[in-house]
Amino acid sequence: MILVWGPADDPPIEHVLAALQARGAETIAFGDEALASLGYDIAFGDGISGSLTAGGVTLALDTLQGFYLRPGATRQQTQPEAELKAASALLALAAAAPATVVNRPWAGRSNWSKPSQLQLIAAAGLAVPDTLVTTDPNAARAFLGRHGRIVYKSISGVRSIVATLGPAEADRLGGVATGPVQLQRWIDGADIRVHVVGDRWWATRVDCAADDYRYAARDGIAIAMAPFDLPAELGERLVRLSTRMGLLVSGIDLRLTPDGAWCCLEVNPSPGFTYYEDATGQPIAEAIAALLMGTPFAPRN
Amino acid sequence: MIIVIGSRHDPVAVAMADSWPGAGLCGAEDFTRPGWVWRLDDRTALRWVVGGHAVPDVAISGVLVRRRTFYPEEFPATHPDDRAYLAAEAHAFLVAMLSVTGARVANPARDGMFGDEAIRLDRWLAAARDEGLVVRPVRVSSDDQPRRRTPAPLKVEVVGGDAFGAAPPALKAGAVRLARAMDLLWATALFDGRRRLLTITGAAAPDEEARAALGTMLAG
Repeated sequence: MILVWGPADDPPIEHVLAALQARGAETIAFGDEALASLGYDIAFGDGISGSLTAGGVTLALDTLQGFYLRPGATRQQTQPEAELKAASALLALAAAAPATVVNRPWAGRSNWSKPSQLQLIAAAGLAVPDTLVTTDPNAARAFLGRHGRIVYKSISGVRSIVATLGPAEADRLGGVATGPVQLQRWIDGADIRVHVVGDRWWATRVDCAADDYRYAARDGIAIAMAPFDLPAELGERLVRLSTRMGLLVSGIDLRLTPDGAWCCLEVNPSPGFTYYEDATGQPIAEAIAALLMGTPFAPRN
Repeated sequence: MIIVIGSRHDPVAVAMADSWPGAGLCGAEDFTRPGWVWRLDDRTALRWVVGGHAVPDVAISGVLVRRRTFYPEEFPATHPDDRAYLAAEAHAFLVAMLSVTGARVANPARDGMFGDEAIRLDRWLAAARDEGLVVRPVRVSSDDQPRRRTPAPLKVEVVGGDAFGAAPPALKAGAVRLARAMDLLWATALFDGRRRLLTITGAAAPDEEARAALGTMLAG
């Protein structure tokens, strides 16, 4: 039995569920709206025992062989207590269960602090952009002066639109004094998105003139996506990075510079891979389904 | 200098900062003040802001974290629409600072979390098992039955490699091993009357002896 937790209209949830069902897997799927009525009785000790009841079906926990998780963010202030308790219990179960979990909640938090994640990436031997996080306008201006063009992005996993700043916008950096901001040297080149699933990977090249290609369509900017043949040594290194971070599935953002150097920008522990899968035909959802079921991966076509 | 990361509304954090010579309380409001610097490749450039003053990382000997998150309400001077974002950013930034500081951190950040969120149930259960401690199973249920409370659990306070409290030596030794396995320089472990581990936390208020030892350790 594979447990799938996430919104029914979330494309990765839809694709993974469809791939699991096509492979004949038994699944139990629910979204956050079902948390309030979820029944659970879990004992954590030397092992884990107990049961879970969802949609009128009760399961013994030892029948769960896989978890695919894409829940919404918990809202400590506003979410009903029963939902928070259920979410907390499920996350504790997913953290410790002797099953294949995509991904363990603690591993999924690696991008809650992007500078901290950058440390892990650098420690794995991958080049990363020069980075400053600060509330000091003078330090921010000096950083801009050193690099000429810099990127402004969120420090946390909260999604933000990546924007660039150049010398003409140095005065705007006075605003950093009211809260920490993350600034990175702009790395020129093509975006390469790599999805790691277990020990496999699929890479997509994205050519786009926007600072943040995810929002290019909104701004009417052209975007081209195509499968990319990643050097095997780099692919293996990315698998090792993903494994070191405790991730069975990840979406890794790289930039390939005009002189052929690689720079790693970020590792997404809960990638919205369908955006790339739809554009390239890469069988990522099928690979995730095979991983969850513990079966060899062989694309159906 | 010792930094206590906490809230000025937390009397334990305030008392600790007051009781240790040269210690300062770093509150949520400090994360909205100029002076912070985090660099990946240059630890000598790191700067904290404590009580409104910028402090170089090299001047800090120890850090104690007395919070597990930031709340939007802790940023009243920020526009209400931006407070939740700022709370998430402050959380992420504190994790980053704790990850690179050269100071001794009593309870380090781990996996993007700090405070007792970093100690988390699955982690301490696994560590206790590896260290040979007997654990009372933790039951989590949607059935809201009143929980059976353990009368007067045995408490062991761990500071570095030392244990404080009236518990038997075997429990003290087990608590020290558990804290060490979890990279905790400060923790409180609770045991029931059958000497089974109930929990381990970094959020308890230390007794006087442990507080003094913690201050001495963090002062370096």
